[in-house]
Amino acid sequence: MNPRTALLVLLGLWIVTTLGAPLVGSQAISLKDALSGDGTAATILWRIRLPRVLLAILAGGALAVSGLAFQTLFRNPLAEPYTLGVAGGAALGAVLAMQLEWIGTAVGFPAVAAAAFIGALSVSLVILGLAVTRFGVEVTTLLLAGIAISLSCSALILFLQYLADFTKTFRMVRWMMGGLSVVGYGEVLWVAPWVVVGGLALVGHRWDLNLLLTGEDLAASRGVSLLRIRLVVLGVTSAMIGALVSVTGPIGFVGLIVPHMLRRWVGHDHLFLIPACLLGGGIFLAICDLGARTIMAPAELPVGILTALLGGPFFLWLLIARR
Amino acid sequence: MTAASILAADDVGWQFDGRRILDHVDLQVDRGECLVVVGPNGAGKTTLLRTLVGLLEPASGTVRLEGTDLARLSRRERARHLAYVPQIRPTRVPLTVEQMVLLGRYPYLSAFRGAPRASDFEAVARALEVVGIGALRERLLTELSGGEQQAVYVATALAQEAEVMILDEPTTHLDPSHQREIAALLAELNRRGEKTVVAATHDLNFASLIADRILALREGRVLACDVPAKILRPELLSELFRAPFEIVREGDRPVTLLELGR
Repeated sequence: MNPRTALLVLLGLWIVTTLGAPLVGSQAISLKDALSGDGTAATILWRIRLPRVLLAILAGGALAVSGLAFQTLFRNPLAEPYTLGVAGGAALGAVLAMQLEWIGTAVGFPAVAAAAFIGALSVSLVILGLAVTRFGVEVTTLLLAGIAISLSCSALILFLQYLADFTKTFRMVRWMMGGLSVVGYGEVLWVAPWVVVGGLALVGHRWDLNLLLTGEDLAASRGVSLLRIRLVVLGVTSAMIGALVSVTGPIGFVGLIVPHMLRRWVGHDHLFLIPACLLGGGIFLAICDLGARTIMAPAELPVGILTALLGGPFFLWLLIARR
Repeated sequence: MTAASILAADDVGWQFDGRRILDHVDLQVDRGECLVVVGPNGAGKTTLLRTLVGLLEPASGTVRLEGTDLARLSRRERARHLAYVPQIRPTRVPLTVEQMVLLGRYPYLSAFRGAPRASDFEAVARALEVVGIGALRERLLTELSGGEQQAVYVATALAQEAEVMILDEPTTHLDPSHQREIAALLAELNRRGEKTVVAATHDLNFASLIADRILALREGRVLACDVPAKILRPELLSELFRAPFEIVREGDRPVTLLELGR
């Protein structure tokens, strides 16, 4: 399909999902009820479901676009913030902030978000330092380092939970499952600018990213600064993932599944692929969350469990398909 | 350094893990010349080319572009003068031919990396036409044969509109007919006086087809640098490659034959 057409179709689906998903749930709501002043219906729709869907739309887009950027930067389809431990680093930062009860703000940011950002960025830099040699990026090192860092972060998180009292532990565990449940417009407004600015920053570097597809030597010989593009991608994704993880907890594999599906559809040019991931990731996570809300209704699954259940087998399939 | 020299290496050295990869290398490439670097595997050919493009900064010595130290030019300035075609393996670059060739225009994009301009598309069209792959414009690189892919890489370098083209093993993975096409294309570009060409290869017959001068590189040192007739001699080649050679004359072109020895 022509990438422009594909992008228009995605935009259409995105609008339909954003408007339609809030109407579906354990209790069906018609727009008429909500608008005709039915108090309960209006509350469910405007206060509970709409902010949740909006957050899913934003979070999914950010996760997908971060995955895409990592895959291009490291030239490996298995790279994404979750597999490389960046999300784990963000989670560790956030859990640490919860345990130490850092409330309030750090340099104007909520403490949990700031800690998540620092966690994400630190892991990114460690991974970069380990995997980039003078001969380019060592992909095996990269993925293994990601696993090692993820495991270390999990262990430290468990340790912090062990130290925490019962209420805090419950909060952390629930948060770690990755969910979009209790959110209001405040969270949506907090995440939105990060996603928009991050997406724009990456679109601004689409030429560099396209050149990276052709190999690091070729890119550098055309005038791309490898150091700069690496720092831009890691900085931008860490900011997005940090902001996001502080609100939703780690939600895995969206960054793996969505870019992979979209490449087949819109091609590899980042001019189209980045907006496509922003839209497609949002649609994907909003639909996953719809499933999480309805599969066991009236109980709700954390959406992170659902994406991980889809993502694990998908990761294995990618491994096998690459042989 | 002669006045006409466009690219020059001045006592260039580079080492890795305590091993000298390049050892006091001096060379001058004249404007409009075709210089072919030959040598056995591990002689330092790729390292030399990467140094000449500015991908590696020499540990000692300097590389000069029209007299200016390469290290003092910005990446984009370098890229407007030097186009590099690295040794390619069967590629997995999932772009279309046109998208790929358009990437050669990167050094000319505005600071905000805006949309390519009409002049960029014209350069791409010209490059595709010169290489003769206009018909492949919409095809995916991954669908092309090795020879076609190599042609696309050359077209990308042409779209870069640099005076000097630097190619690493441009014919290694190609069958004879595609080897011939690439050789003919490089010779033609060079003969028309548009491009200065520096290529590395261990294919001596390819070298003798296109070279004005051949530089023999062995263990990071320049063994000799001269016109093909002076380099393609059995004594020099067997010293260079540590294998016996026979030279047959085909008109005024020396043809190199590898011997099994007795």
